[in-house]
Amino acid sequence: MIELQNATKVYRSLFGRSVTAVEDFSLQVAEGEVLGIAGPNGAGKSTLISLMLGYLRPTHGRVLIRGLEPRTFVEKNGIGYLSELMTINPNWKADEALVRFATLAAIPPADVRGRVDAVIEELGIGEHRDKKIKALSKGNLQRLGVAQALLRDEEVMILDEPTHGLDPVWTQRFRGIVEGLRRPGRTIIIASHNLDELQRLADRVAIIDRGRLQRLVQTGYDQATDAGGTYRISIATGADRLKAMFPQAVDSGDGEFELTFSSIADLNAALAQLIGGGVLVAGVVPSRSVLEQQFREAVGEQN
Amino acid sequence: MAANLTRYSYWQFRDFIRERGLALIITSTLLGFTVVAPMRAMLGSNIDEVNAKRILMMALPQLVYISAFIALNGLISTDRKLGYYRFLFSKPVSIPAYYAQYFLVSLIGFLAVFAFLLGVFAFVVRPVSPFGALAWCGLVYLSFGGIAFFISSLFRYDWPILAGVYLGSALVNGLWADRGGFRMVIRDMLPPVHKLSAAMNDIMNLGTVDTNSVLWLLGYSALCFAAGLFVLWRRPIG
Repeated sequence: MIELQNATKVYRSLFGRSVTAVEDFSLQVAEGEVLGIAGPNGAGKSTLISLMLGYLRPTHGRVLIRGLEPRTFVEKNGIGYLSELMTINPNWKADEALVRFATLAAIPPADVRGRVDAVIEELGIGEHRDKKIKALSKGNLQRLGVAQALLRDEEVMILDEPTHGLDPVWTQRFRGIVEGLRRPGRTIIIASHNLDELQRLADRVAIIDRGRLQRLVQTGYDQATDAGGTYRISIATGADRLKAMFPQAVDSGDGEFELTFSSIADLNAALAQLIGGGVLVAGVVPSRSVLEQQFREAVGEQN
Repeated sequence: MAANLTRYSYWQFRDFIRERGLALIITSTLLGFTVVAPMRAMLGSNIDEVNAKRILMMALPQLVYISAFIALNGLISTDRKLGYYRFLFSKPVSIPAYYAQYFLVSLIGFLAVFAFLLGVFAFVVRPVSPFGALAWCGLVYLSFGGIAFFISSLFRYDWPILAGVYLGSALVNGLWADRGGFRMVIRDMLPPVHKLSAAMNDIMNLGTVDTNSVLWLLGYSALCFAAGLFVLWRRPIG
């Protein structure tokens, strides 16, 4: 669906200085996939997204969407896009902005009102619809941005920092919205600093740093790449028995212990041993998600 | 042109009136007042048609050039500078078509503003036929427009460049009007805006135009407009 072939973007100033924002980036994103993009500030995420929207052209290499140059694809089909920078004319009203975007999105005139009302309802911005953009809070503006991206049933959605500025309730709801957007044939790209969010929403996460693709991480469990990890085990009773069975366990206090396993199978075996030995296990969570671990390794190695 | 973009022209027209039209009316009314008020004081309230036309021809150049500048600067560059393009052009819209349409919508808005101002003139001084004046306003807009469009497609801070090009052109044409050699080449390469004053006299007094001058003005502008469209088509907007 989306293909980057050795894409490189070099910015050149008038005085001959050049900055390589994206370098030799190759990646294929399949139809129906949700791809996360993670990276530290200045890693090249925004440039990468601008390349996918055709707002920038690669200095070398190619970017294709369904075999077309991005601009050609966008002009034919449109893309559901949420920009990290909420650059909407501050003098427009929220409702007016959505009607304008719906018009540009080629929604039939008879359906514009209904579609706008539907996204306003979905994003809970009904009470702000008559406010000017400049009068909206950061969170409401972000919800408006999400709303305009949802106006049309797009095949490609690119969401740049979608939960930035949202409160926890709306962050949670947004995750539900993205889950609802998943469908065969639709490709969703989410760029975010929030690794937990990407872990939950994305099928794969591209970790980029200094313009390069550092790692491509599968977020679900993959037996082939299972390398275990450190887990935090909370227990209700039986702390002494746990210590006796696993002397290497690190006591974090309040009935929590950290244990490192070489695989998921080892973790399960240990849990079975604990439960069999009369330890009442209250919870098991990874100390660090696989993604977080990979991110630290990929970005930490560079910085 | 795609139907969605055609329908969006309503919003572009609203934008023009809200963001530029009101400014044009205020600026032009104030500027026009400085010309009309002394003449009215001198000639009294019973002004005949000949004098009314003369006042209008004195006032119009003062207003139309600056108004065309206000109407045309930032046509494309404002969206680039402020990042508005990000949301607009993620929709199924051709960027050159969007701005070509905005250029035409702005022309209609510009003429609507001057139709309104001619109405004010008719109320304050005396009614005169608006057709010649509107035709000349349209000619000024179109002559400036293509060049403004091209500059705005290239530069984020287009208005100082636009001002420089026009002032430079006016100066060079004034200073080197009869010179030959390289001066003539430079003079001929700059926008032929000096031909607009003569065109106003022709249109408003004789009801005709010097075809060569008008073709040169519009041809020069059309070439620039086409160059602007080419830039928008080939050069990424981000």
